[in-house]
Amino acid sequence: MYGGGNVFERMKATALVDEDPRKLAEFEARIERGEKIEPKDWMPQLYRKQLIRMIEQHAHSEIIGALPEGTWITRAPGFKRKLALMAKVQDEVGHAQLLYAAAETLGKSREKMIDDLITGKSKYSNIFNYPAFTWADSCFISWLVDAGAIVNQLANAKGSYGPYCRALERICAEESFHLKYGHHCVIHMATGSKKQREMMQAAINRWWPPMMHFFGPSDTISVHSEILMKWKVKMASNDACRQQFLDMYVPKIWELGLTIPDKNLQKNNETGQWEYTEPDWDEFKRVINGDGPCNKERLAVRRTAEERGRWVREALLAPKTKYITPLA
Amino acid sequence: MLKSLDPRVNRLNIPLEEAAHAQKNKLDQFETYEVFVQTKEDKPFEHVGIVHAPNEEMAFLFAKEQYTRRGMFCISLCVIKTENIRVSDYSENQKDIYDTFEGKYSGKTTYSFEVFHLIKRGKQHKYEGNVQAKNFEDALLAARDTYPRNKPVLNVWVVKSEDIFVSDEEDQDLWDTLQEKKYRDAIDYRAADKIKAFKEKQHEH
Ligand SMILES: [Fe+2]
Ligand SMILES: [Fe+2]
Ligand SMILES: [Fe+2]
Repeated sequence: MYGGGNVFERMKATALVDEDPRKLAEFEARIERGEKIEPKDWMPQLYRKQLIRMIEQHAHSEIIGALPEGTWITRAPGFKRKLALMAKVQDEVGHAQLLYAAAETLGKSREKMIDDLITGKSKYSNIFNYPAFTWADSCFISWLVDAGAIVNQLANAKGSYGPYCRALERICAEESFHLKYGHHCVIHMATGSKKQREMMQAAINRWWPPMMHFFGPSDTISVHSEILMKWKVKMASNDACRQQFLDMYVPKIWELGLTIPDKNLQKNNETGQWEYTEPDWDEFKRVINGDGPCNKERLAVRRTAEERGRWVREALLAPKTKYITPLA
Repeated sequence: MLKSLDPRVNRLNIPLEEAAHAQKNKLDQFETYEVFVQTKEDKPFEHVGIVHAPNEEMAFLFAKEQYTRRGMFCISLCVIKTENIRVSDYSENQKDIYDTFEGKYSGKTTYSFEVFHLIKRGKQHKYEGNVQAKNFEDALLAARDTYPRNKPVLNVWVVKSEDIFVSDEEDQDLWDTLQEKKYRDAIDYRAADKIKAFKEKQHEH
């Protein structure tokens, strides 16, 4: 799971002046030819920095994203749903490990990344700063938040950095289960009792605004996004991802007789583009900067897990302590 | 105490001050191990990624969880501590990295080494075979003289055979976990009939 709309480092116009122009040209030619960049290759500092930031945010999103869904494992309706949700949440945590590993090849240790997550220095997908009130919220996340993530991940899997692409290939293979499972859950709710339908509709109403935020604000045409696109760090604009998501999933929501809380949402048949009410980007900024309903809780839970798991890591680090059979 | 919708979070009893305080103790990162998986009898081991672990056995367990979750794609697994792998340079544009090595293979058989090749950028290292040599540099030269190279080799990894931790032949059943875990596969979630029935019912009304 993963939110687009990455927060990239602000770029100075002078960011590339220190780079060797010959090496830079070779690097860009390699990407142009469709070849992957591997860890030991020469790369501009800016490429390294932006990639670390992006992959790290992605990894954090998988870890934090496991929290609102994890809440519902013990209360999922029935044994089979419990098993499936548990498997899904395990997958997400596994995705984080794959991604941390990919980011590590760029020179930032996993430990440092986890530090930066729990001190609030690094960002993660903003959508997980909202709470999952009912089982239906968990269904929404499994289906539609994962669907949004898949749109992003499939795009990024075609990027230029080898280890990230390989991690994403593994991740996408597992996401197909998440997507089908999530859809199955939502169908079950939507075609169920009146109460179930109401719960599902309420969840959609709650999650739609953060879902629209999920892909990030419109990209401004800037040197910044141009160079990230050229280097195949960013593979599709935020708007293009949002459009693709709407195109694939709005009809699937509507066919279940559910509604979407946006009167202006419709496909313009002339342009082929979806029209919608502009999301509230002030709220997005406020929440991503720490003032959302769950920011504090998410980080506190992570930090507590880190601190309370410490003794396990310490115990594992002392393999020389020998076990001796008690004497009497 | 931190109050949450999640009863599990409430049971953690996290003091609010702790929630606000944001310092973690010093780094206690585990070493990394490179993980290789064999998917079929006639396929070589292939690099899949890394795990962090305090020792080989734990690395093996983590690797099993991380890289063979869907068991049918693995028949054997091995882990190698990252620092035990000697990495050659990467070659440029279609050149064979072996062509850049100078010197003569000693012919000595002091140590046994395992060799892995990377053929293409974006792909992963695959097991090539075993050579005997007196040290790492010598092993690279031995590999150069041993393996046919129909495709140029981009990069070589060499590791002492004794530094590899590999699953046991006899433990094959380690990988047969899938039968009772169909619920982890997309195929277990067909629902087209349900949507169809729902639409038909809507139509009647
Ligand atoms: Fe997800
Ligand atoms: Fe995921
Ligand atoms: Fe997922």
